[in-house]
Amino acid sequence: MTITPLISPVVVTAYQCVSAAGDDVEALYARLLANQTCLKPLTLFAIPFDTLVGEVTSVLPAIRSSLQAYDCRNARLALKALNQGGFRADVERAIANYGAARVGLILGTSTSGIYDSENAYARLLEDGVMPSDFHFTKVQTAQATAEFLQLELGLQGPCYAISTACSSSAKALAAAQRLLNSDCCDAVLVAGVDSLCRLTLRGFNSLQLISTEACRPMDAGRQGINIGEGAALLLLEKPYAENADRPRLLAVGESSDAHHMSAPHPDGVGAATAMAQALRLAGRDLSEVDYINLHATASTLNDLSEARAVGSLFANPPPCSGVKGLLGHTLGAAGAVETVVSLLALERGFLPGTCGLRDPDPECGFTVVAAPDLQVSPRLILSNAFGFGGNNASVLLEAA
Amino acid sequence: MECMSLLGVGACAPDAEFRASLPFPAFDINRETIPPLLRRRSSQAMQMAFSVATAACEQAQRSPTTLPTIFASVAGEIRTTDQICTELVKADGVISPAAFHNSVQNTVAGYWSIAQQCIQPATALAAGSDTLAMALLEAWCQLSCEGGELLLVCYDEVWPGYLAPGSGNPAFAYALLLAAGTVDGRLMHIGRPQVGEIIFPASWTNSVNSMPILAAIPLLEAALTGRMPQAVALTSHTPGWQVNVGGYE
Repeated sequence: MTITPLISPVVVTAYQCVSAAGDDVEALYARLLANQTCLKPLTLFAIPFDTLVGEVTSVLPAIRSSLQAYDCRNARLALKALNQGGFRADVERAIANYGAARVGLILGTSTSGIYDSENAYARLLEDGVMPSDFHFTKVQTAQATAEFLQLELGLQGPCYAISTACSSSAKALAAAQRLLNSDCCDAVLVAGVDSLCRLTLRGFNSLQLISTEACRPMDAGRQGINIGEGAALLLLEKPYAENADRPRLLAVGESSDAHHMSAPHPDGVGAATAMAQALRLAGRDLSEVDYINLHATASTLNDLSEARAVGSLFANPPPCSGVKGLLGHTLGAAGAVETVVSLLALERGFLPGTCGLRDPDPECGFTVVAAPDLQVSPRLILSNAFGFGGNNASVLLEAA
Repeated sequence: MECMSLLGVGACAPDAEFRASLPFPAFDINRETIPPLLRRRSSQAMQMAFSVATAACEQAQRSPTTLPTIFASVAGEIRTTDQICTELVKADGVISPAAFHNSVQNTVAGYWSIAQQCIQPATALAAGSDTLAMALLEAWCQLSCEGGELLLVCYDEVWPGYLAPGSGNPAFAYALLLAAGTVDGRLMHIGRPQVGEIIFPASWTNSVNSMPILAAIPLLEAALTGRMPQAVALTSHTPGWQVNVGGYE
């Protein structure tokens, strides 16, 4: 049965990613195939408990002097991704093709530059005032790194941040698709960026969700989550003959649990709604989905809620796996980072494994892919991202 | 889509002196709009947002349960975030689980969806001095792509003074209940936000530059008084984002 799509596909003409799993998509691809955890003890700052994190330990580039007010770890992570593998040239090509006013920018982030604010608060405690080089709206507020990227690239189109906790950058993809569909833009740069900070590490620790070992999503012996950081950039454009060889974003399904601020609905109702909504908007059928990139944080409640969502929606679930055992939970960046993982799976023809999975949780109810599978070339992929506030998004991607 | 229809509106200014200075009617926080179990811990941001969202739904006679939402704020839950950052500096600082999950930008969006039992999508957005303009553009895109109606709420509570001296005051919130196309009973039409040369009212420029969420004053004046220019500025910058309005019924 063919269902009429309710939203038009857009094309992903370029993508890049910096994370604990490497400085670009080639490194990420190699780490996905190796399926060995990149989680390590934190070196950026001290915390009063044991855990492993997905920290970017390579050198981050400096922010140019004219944009110094925006300097923070989040902006530097974004700039690093921008400078990888010709991504900046792809944005410049879009500006040349469409004009700077027709290129939009949507950032998904949960904590923006709060790591640098935390350092400023240490000075506040000592001196009674914030440091003179601290710029609240250019560092801490959610749109700070969006504004930095806009100025760095000379973009003049719509520019904003979506901050819905761990679904932020998946929802940024949805907003970008709508900007293109409603002809407000000809190209949109989507950025998912989050950096390690005390607030999230100690916050999740207060929720008793932090694991001391490398996390084991969907494993019966899971102990909790590991926090990571990263920057993923995707350039979305309208479909043309010249970009017909690139993968497509078909739709993003969105929903609310209406259940609890920090716990998902135990039956996964909202998660199932988001996946179903993505397929409905794209006019596709459940049976066409070849692979689901699970949100799979390795918290028991999250994993089983998502498993129930998949089990309730699919009579025979497609292969599923999750990558947070490899590079950690990158929070607001996770939706974009894992969309990049899914695009690599589409373009290079493999299924990612679930790093850390040894003893699959029998309550999950379906088979989770443990090791990378190079024999399968998925064509239609759902990638899930769920956040605090019961905020759900599921990204539907299709191979060229 | 030719235009959006504004079906309901509400504006909240907790500071009585500031409220009296506004060129349109605004009200104080209405704590009855927050379920009793949530009321005690609710931030000023949440109290204002719930007050205006409820008022806009009541005016339009729409049920909040069925409406997708966009919650926009420059600084979000800044007082809760500030309290956590202050604790993090101390060697023995303690973060409560509730303070942590109440510090995210989509705190109000999450509690609203829970309180109204609304499973529709909820977005939380921030765009500095363009926060209102980008929230209206996001609303335009959602209605243009998916049709129907949605609830747009913009708010900012008072920011701790040392974060951005001279900025972040007074607190203000407003809600717009918007529908795709021309709808009977509308208060006015709102066009697609675009960049133009409309100049922001000089008497409010300083206020907006220190509290960006106040950029809605010209738009709210048109909606709440019926004094309707052809276009209103959505930001104090020129050129900047603006929107055509009209079609008052």
